[in-house]
Amino acid sequence: MKTYILTRIGLSIPMILIILTIVFFVLRVLPGNPVLAMLGPKAPPSVVKAMEHQMGLDKPILVQYADYLKDIIHGNFGQSTVTGMPVLKELMQKFPATLELTIFAMIVAVFIGIFYGTLAAYKLGNPLDVSARIYSIFVYSFPVFWFGLMLQLIFGVWLHWLPVSGESSPFMTPDPMHTGLYVVDAIINGQWDVLKDSLEHLILPSITLGIVISSIFVRMVRANVVLTLSQQFVTAARARGAKEKSVLFRHALKNALPPILTIMGLEFALLLGGAVLTEVTFSWPGIGSYLVSRIHARDFTAIQGTIVFFAIFVAITSILVDVINAWINPRVRY
Amino acid sequence: MAVLSIKNLFIEYQIKSGAVKAVEDVSFDVEENESLGIVGESGCGKSTLGTAILRLLPQNAKITGEILLNGVNLLELDNESMRKIRGKDIAMIFQDPMTSLNPIMRVRDHFFELFKVHNPDIKKNEMIKIASEALESVGVDPKRLNNYPFEFSGGMRQRVMIALAIALKPKVLIADEPTTALDVVVQEQIMQVLKNLMKTKNMSIVLITHDMGIVAEMAERVAVMYAGNLVELGAIHKLYNKPMHPYTRMLLESIPNIKLDDMDLKFIPGSPPDLKNPPRGCKYYPRCPFTKDICKKNDPKTKKVDSRIVKCWIYGE
Repeated sequence: MKTYILTRIGLSIPMILIILTIVFFVLRVLPGNPVLAMLGPKAPPSVVKAMEHQMGLDKPILVQYADYLKDIIHGNFGQSTVTGMPVLKELMQKFPATLELTIFAMIVAVFIGIFYGTLAAYKLGNPLDVSARIYSIFVYSFPVFWFGLMLQLIFGVWLHWLPVSGESSPFMTPDPMHTGLYVVDAIINGQWDVLKDSLEHLILPSITLGIVISSIFVRMVRANVVLTLSQQFVTAARARGAKEKSVLFRHALKNALPPILTIMGLEFALLLGGAVLTEVTFSWPGIGSYLVSRIHARDFTAIQGTIVFFAIFVAITSILVDVINAWINPRVRY
Repeated sequence: MAVLSIKNLFIEYQIKSGAVKAVEDVSFDVEENESLGIVGESGCGKSTLGTAILRLLPQNAKITGEILLNGVNLLELDNESMRKIRGKDIAMIFQDPMTSLNPIMRVRDHFFELFKVHNPDIKKNEMIKIASEALESVGVDPKRLNNYPFEFSGGMRQRVMIALAIALKPKVLIADEPTTALDVVVQEQIMQVLKNLMKTKNMSIVLITHDMGIVAEMAERVAVMYAGNLVELGAIHKLYNKPMHPYTRMLLESIPNIKLDDMDLKFIPGSPPDLKNPPRGCKYYPRCPFTKDICKKNDPKTKKVDSRIVKCWIYGE
């Protein structure tokens, strides 16, 4: 198992390198000059030249590439051309909000996906199964922002049960901050009113995001469990007197997990890159909102940094998924 | 006294275009310590019959009649009581050993699951002890309890399946084509394992197969099925030496024999009827060389002819 994990980490280094390379060259090939975007189209050529020199854009492209890789290895994602702040620092400020939303949304989605999907597979062809299929199609075809707006309208505007935007109410942030995750920090500090406020703010965005994603999970789980339920070892387990609950979850679901986990892991990684539409709809101060505002401002370093950040997360998540799969499935390990 | 007694069993699969009559009015007894073979062509209902005894048929199967285990009708039990019988009083082994074990569970955990299901208070070392004994009795090294199924060959997996089936000393073992997926050498080994078990354990075996040779080697009595009907049942030597039903006779004649000069393979012309729309009268008449008018009109009744059961008009009303 140890060898497996080490091999897997070793294999993802070239993968990250390839992503870094693609990000670098694609951003260089795309139209639009970052210096002009910063200084405006009417900047005098001498100023533009000086700026290009300062940013190292006048060097040969391979030298720029080497500098770029060196910087990233040292954790330097460059300075934002809009705020002048290090991009990594800005990302780290935004990341906890995104992480918090992602985790809660995934809890909702995985819970619905696993249970609804497994039960639908078990009751294949019954009304429960039909309802699961209708649910997936319906929910998947909702635009996420529309769904978010409807929830805001119902639970925020009409019922006044829940706040409609932001990560917290004014003066309701945990103090001091430890992790940047409001829920976790509030628990560490024992600030229960802050915890309640944070959770209330989390409910609508994470349900919106979670339900939309759950549609894929329900389908995935259902299809894979239907397949494992028809296998002979399931009948054999029943023939030994195994309880239906154990037949369904221990035998059928667990064997169906590898492809499901892969999709869930990828989805998790995607969300860590910022659930752009959800974050914007709920004014959630995460990476999605950050990316959108920086695209509007043509902040090339920030965009590049966000993509790299995101790519590294996808790589890490996929390692984790593989390790979990190996842990469940012995055939992968050996 | 019969351990297992099947009485007037009917099984129908409900499908969109109607009902498939997979088993029709089948009755037989399995005596204590007896091995009973059930033979027939593919699709004649023998696997359906075996699976029905454990009530493991798919939801669309409708079963009527009686399946008595020591006098208790299994078809009247609630699901929970039936579950407790599976693996403990009646066990089953399957055709394809490659897919019968859960690929992500150690062999040990298969045993542990079985033991805990039937006795929640069982201690761990006791479980290891029973599991080791069971594995030893089928010729598998108990050290291999910690292995995963993919670390075993097909023959070894079938031994593990048998060990699992006999671990709790069931009264009846249903073996559904236990050697079909194995090569002949391994087939013979598995047969030896089953034979040894029959000698040493107090257990009845229902052996479902299409291999007449295996039945001849293993079974004391044999039931021949055709198109969901039990057409003949009798002691193995009598039935093989003097088959009564035309189908049994033709089935036996179609076993190739290398010693005969006549190298042409005999076979039964035609194919079994569509069980959605079986012929009126005897199911076998379209392929039978002795067809009389009555065969086409009425289904023959099951008759007892000197300790044998046969279902054919040749033997009178």
